[in-house]
Amino acid sequence: MNLTTALFRLLIFPGLLFAVPASWFFLWVERKAVAGMQQRVGPPFMQPFVDFIKLLGKGVPARKGIGGMLMTTWPLLALASSAGAVGMLPVLSSFHGFAGDLILLLALLELPSMCLIAAGFSSRSIFAEIGSAREATMSVSYNVVFLLAIVSIATSQHTFSLEALAQTPTTPLYWLGVLAILVCLPAKLHVNPFSLPNAEQEIYTGPLTEYAGFELAMWELAHGLEWVASAGLVAMLVAPHFGPWWLDAGLFVSISFGVVLLLSVLAAATARMAIDNTVRFYWRVTLVFAVLAISSALFMRIRL
Amino acid sequence: MNILTMLMSNWIGRSLTVLYPARPAVTEGYRGLVKFDETRCSGCSMCAFHCTSRAIDFRSSKTEYKWSYDPGQCTFCGRCAQGCESHALSMEQACPPIYLTSGALKCFYTVQRKPPAPNPEPSGNPQQEGSTAGDAR
Repeated sequence: MNLTTALFRLLIFPGLLFAVPASWFFLWVERKAVAGMQQRVGPPFMQPFVDFIKLLGKGVPARKGIGGMLMTTWPLLALASSAGAVGMLPVLSSFHGFAGDLILLLALLELPSMCLIAAGFSSRSIFAEIGSAREATMSVSYNVVFLLAIVSIATSQHTFSLEALAQTPTTPLYWLGVLAILVCLPAKLHVNPFSLPNAEQEIYTGPLTEYAGFELAMWELAHGLEWVASAGLVAMLVAPHFGPWWLDAGLFVSISFGVVLLLSVLAAATARMAIDNTVRFYWRVTLVFAVLAISSALFMRIRL
Repeated sequence: MNILTMLMSNWIGRSLTVLYPARPAVTEGYRGLVKFDETRCSGCSMCAFHCTSRAIDFRSSKTEYKWSYDPGQCTFCGRCAQGCESHALSMEQACPPIYLTSGALKCFYTVQRKPPAPNPEPSGNPQQEGSTAGDAR
């Protein structure tokens, strides 16, 4: 990957120029779909964008005893890592990655969660601390499954390169790994039934309780980009590459949209689980699922 | 699968949200604004006692009392009207109007205290009253 390609991917497609409007669109789709399934009207199309602009125009109130720079750093870091994760997705077949870029993508996908945990503890709010503790507990639970699923996919395809993963023919084992990733996405994106860190009715917005104005706008945007990156990861693994760039891009967007709709249905159909039930779910049910995938991957390698 | 069927029917069906300026339909027993009838009020102030949201304020002096109601604070629970023994309070069977200024619907009443009712005439035969009460028991 040369500098021009890297800049194009980060800034144009699937990077910021595409991902920022896409993130607002996905946030709108999620809210609108959940509203539709609850017989509500839901927000107008431009609402996430309007919210973002409104937050940018608001000031940050003085917070006694809290490091201002630190509080600003976390959302910016989360935003940068989410944008980087989106930029790394090999949407078009002509994008040249590098060996092991899957590992970098996983790290970038995980960084916003780390920033959220750190932000909650930095803000010295009891609600934020509870939210951060929940996020940390959940992160330990679902990430085991998530990483095992990714490793199983990589093992089955004999590569840690994103582009190679996207272009190699799929196997049943591959689909098992994709299913395991799908199971982890609601927890990663804080969607019901795993919306524990930002449980509004219990702890306001959890780690973001003390955030306002520009910083909160950055968090919202980072969260939107997380949606694009996570749905895009599934789309990248699932979508076949046909060749023409417009077909590849169209498929990527369509499958991402489908993933967002699927998560919205789940969010509308379920209520929030307790933290112990969530941890139990991920450790008991999904771990078995992912272990099955990785053992099958190893079995296939021995057989080959 | 019931939940999925329900979500699908909700999705396809009509939204229940009522968009401005339309108002929701009023049903039997609807609790709207509290209406005050000063001619019936006995000034007992039980309405202010019942009002947990402090929408009703009652200030009393020897000659008059001031009764005020702030719909902005009202939760429309209906406890005031329910507990009003003189039936001076009732709930309007209509949606509260839309207002753009804070406190626009707030209303105040200053009511002169009624002179105390004269003591009832002592009855001619107390023995008979006692026996009636005894019979009732």
